[in-house]
Amino acid sequence: MLLGLDVGGTFTDGAVVVDGKVVSVVKTPTTHGDLLTGILTAIDQVVADVGSTHFTRIALSTTVVTNALIKGDIDQVGLCIMPGPGMNIKAALPVEPYVLSGYIDHRGHNLATPRQDEVVAACRQFKKCNVFAISGKFSVRNPCNELAVTQWVQQQAHPDHITIGSGVAGTLNFLRRTNSAYYNAAVWRHFNVFATAVTAALKARGIGAPVYILKADGGTLPLLMAREYPVEAIFTGPAASVLGIMAMNPTMAPSLSLDIGGTTTDLALWQNGVPLFAEGGASVGGFATSLRAFRLSSIGLGGDSLVQRVEGVLKVGPKRLGPAMAVGGPSPTVTDAMIVAERIAFGDAKLAMKAMEQVAIDGQTPREVADMVLDAAVTIISQAIDDMLAQQANKPVYRVADIVHGTQFTVKHVIGVGGSAVGLVPLLAGHLGVTYDLPKQGMVANAIGAAVARPTVDITLRADTVEGYYTVAELGIKNKLQTHKFTLTDAYALGIKHLTELATSRGIPLGVTEIIQSEEFNVVQGFRTVGKIMTCRLQIKPGVLMNHEEAL
Amino acid sequence: MDAKKLGLVFFPAFDWAISPVHPEREERLLYTRDQIVEEGLLDMPSIQEYKPSMAKISDLERVHIGVPDIGSLITNAHLVSAGGVMAAADAVMRGEVQRAFALTRPPGHHAMRIVHGTRGFCTINNEAIMVEYLRKVYGVGKVAIVDTDVHHGDGTQDIFYHDAETLFISFHQDGHTLYPGTGFTDELGSPQALGTTLNIPLPPGTTDEGLHTVLDHLVMPVLADFKPDIIINSAGQDNHYSDPLANMKITAQGYARLADKLQADIAVLEGGYSIETALPYVNVGIILAMAGMDYSKVIEPDINTCPAQPAAVTRAINNIIVEQQNMWGKREKLRREATAKAGDFWHSRRNIFYDEQGINEQQTETVRLCPKCAGYLLIATEAHGSGFGYKSAYAAVISRGACPHCRSAAVDAVHKVKKQGKYQHYLVQNKYEDKLEKL
Repeated sequence: MLLGLDVGGTFTDGAVVVDGKVVSVVKTPTTHGDLLTGILTAIDQVVADVGSTHFTRIALSTTVVTNALIKGDIDQVGLCIMPGPGMNIKAALPVEPYVLSGYIDHRGHNLATPRQDEVVAACRQFKKCNVFAISGKFSVRNPCNELAVTQWVQQQAHPDHITIGSGVAGTLNFLRRTNSAYYNAAVWRHFNVFATAVTAALKARGIGAPVYILKADGGTLPLLMAREYPVEAIFTGPAASVLGIMAMNPTMAPSLSLDIGGTTTDLALWQNGVPLFAEGGASVGGFATSLRAFRLSSIGLGGDSLVQRVEGVLKVGPKRLGPAMAVGGPSPTVTDAMIVAERIAFGDAKLAMKAMEQVAIDGQTPREVADMVLDAAVTIISQAIDDMLAQQANKPVYRVADIVHGTQFTVKHVIGVGGSAVGLVPLLAGHLGVTYDLPKQGMVANAIGAAVARPTVDITLRADTVEGYYTVAELGIKNKLQTHKFTLTDAYALGIKHLTELATSRGIPLGVTEIIQSEEFNVVQGFRTVGKIMTCRLQIKPGVLMNHEEAL
Repeated sequence: MDAKKLGLVFFPAFDWAISPVHPEREERLLYTRDQIVEEGLLDMPSIQEYKPSMAKISDLERVHIGVPDIGSLITNAHLVSAGGVMAAADAVMRGEVQRAFALTRPPGHHAMRIVHGTRGFCTINNEAIMVEYLRKVYGVGKVAIVDTDVHHGDGTQDIFYHDAETLFISFHQDGHTLYPGTGFTDELGSPQALGTTLNIPLPPGTTDEGLHTVLDHLVMPVLADFKPDIIINSAGQDNHYSDPLANMKITAQGYARLADKLQADIAVLEGGYSIETALPYVNVGIILAMAGMDYSKVIEPDINTCPAQPAAVTRAINNIIVEQQNMWGKREKLRREATAKAGDFWHSRRNIFYDEQGINEQQTETVRLCPKCAGYLLIATEAHGSGFGYKSAYAAVISRGACPHCRSAAVDAVHKVKKQGKYQHYLVQNKYEDKLEKL
């Protein structure tokens, strides 16, 4: 019995999934200011509905981190960076960092060690800070300097928490890792207060199920791990509904999913049953981070989008003045058009008719205008799809073969969820000339997604046979290679071993592991190949838990 | 739309190599990729990354005459690299970015108009293909190419040697001491284009100081005089003090300041083989400078191994600057004299060596010096090599603005030679009609 909870802007949704079937669904208002109250109300309603508190697990998709960032309810962070030579990164960071000596180069050589006196000075400057973030360039190739600085800061400042850059992501991008580390430290206290309250409230209700937090990449993190990496809990709303779509309607065809809400529509592209990820990572408050997230396109079009005439021209969205006139709203909306066009039955059809009359000209019938409105809405969505496909087609590739044999993404199937999907998706699919699905319970796809999201974790293993060592940044390890004849196959095996270790330490079942990226290059010195550098990323395949035996 | 500062076509061609241990090997830009990604440069709002498209054979044939045809001498990697350079040009010309850097391989500046194979790691000339593309598609007129690779850009020089609309400036390590052994101060262009080829051979041991003296006192003033519509930088990075194939002492700062001064519209990667200790820093420096960002912190970790410039080197540099300043000052006079001396036709005869394949080519060029137009060019080429055999061709090149008389005279000349039957292939590269024909 998997319980999923999604805290949205308007509603907190709950869903219970047993053996791949949704057995309970609840919707309660989100309690802004005190999200926990709404969450507990949803839990109580679910418990009343299913008559049991024996959940296998509870997975929470929450805006607690997002809200903290929006409201600025974050802590001052002592941000220490070791940028070494290169770009002046300061302007691209959310706060002024303290720059320390210390430099690891691209091969992982430690070319300059940090200085303790500088760290002492940094701690003096950050004496008001209870949380620190420490990030060094190429620390994922060798974490020794980050670890040394962490130890000194610990001794000197005794902060409540330190986030280190190589811990938040194992992939290259110092700027993104630094921003991730900063935000992680900034929301650490706020999230931990929330996590403690959740744990206490569940205990008080006699609910002993393990709690997981949904991540922006659709994976889940045990609450205990989320306490260390709270920034992972950002942007989980869209991820939840995307996962819900996957759960309700698995398809391998290149597909497009639409979550059409009141004000906005979120679009995602799918390949081989998984959504495509954002290049590099998500952007937080305008700053690039290394947080893995689905690549979503959000457009200002939904059921409540305003329909108006601007200098005689019919305009749809992106404004929302209120709900549809059919349910007592102030002005004509897309939903009113859907009612008049007999796409949905909802509210008062007469009021919807009146709404369309308001925007009709030249003796148009309300039905004619309604069709025009829906056409315009479909055109707006199509344009967003074209932009996404163009962006996908322009994604840089670094091999000749990928340019010569590169295939274009063509949408073959559309899946629609959300309140307004039923009225628009069939039209859109017709326009695109593809098939479509409108999964049942699409209205709570987000909560279902949270319920069934599989816990995942990924690692980056990099072996340098010339240097004779390998690193796994996420584990902070740098170990000697046992053999000089180390191959990519050996790297995969070693990667699986460490991925298993990491998963076990986080209480994550191994499930299906997969190689998501791998490359191998020669190292040549003086016209002789002296070794190889190989990098591979492995992960526990994200996805959904639908079968009982798979559950935790 | 607000134009971003820099368009970056990054195409490291991780699956292309001349051979696994060759300087042009798969991992040449691996460490550069690592540095660019690690810095977070691709996330900077002032930098927009572009993906290469594939150039078409017809794009190549605007420049090259392959024997027997260019398509049989290249791989897909060459089409992607040239296409990447063209994508950089498109981004600038469409106004999407202020300038662009094509960080692509394979390189191209040793590839000449006639192509029998690969020389100096190059088979087709990416910059020349882009220049002719710019002229064809965007109607660009005057172009300046500044070649900052340590090796003389003999291919680019060859292609534009008779073109007064294209200023080719190359500074490089003196040809007495380095491949390809050309690029001396007396190579100035054929009579009607005299002075629009400007070579600056620099002594081994030249540092940032010498390089920037050359820029300040020669390159920048000449560019200001020439007033090009567009400036292209053949941005080789093998002048670096750690380069294994040459002996110059330029640093990442030297290169970044060069990029900052030059303000090239489009820069194109050429050589640079210190792939681990130079390229990551030099490329980051150039990218930051072209994007208008702070590059002052791009300093190699081993900078203290870079020596100072010896006094003798400084003196030699100053002498070359004065020599070429004088030439530039009186180029109109030199041009008139050379044209008068040559009469109706100008002839040259050269041996060209293809180091990759051991091919020896003998080539004669005959330029029609037409008083009404840019005339035409006749080329006879014969190439020998063990394992290569023998290949020959006779070709005419009709200039873009050729007069009717020159257009027919060029074709007649090839027909006349064909009747004698000495060569294997007969071709007309007709720039007036934008086509390459086999006769």
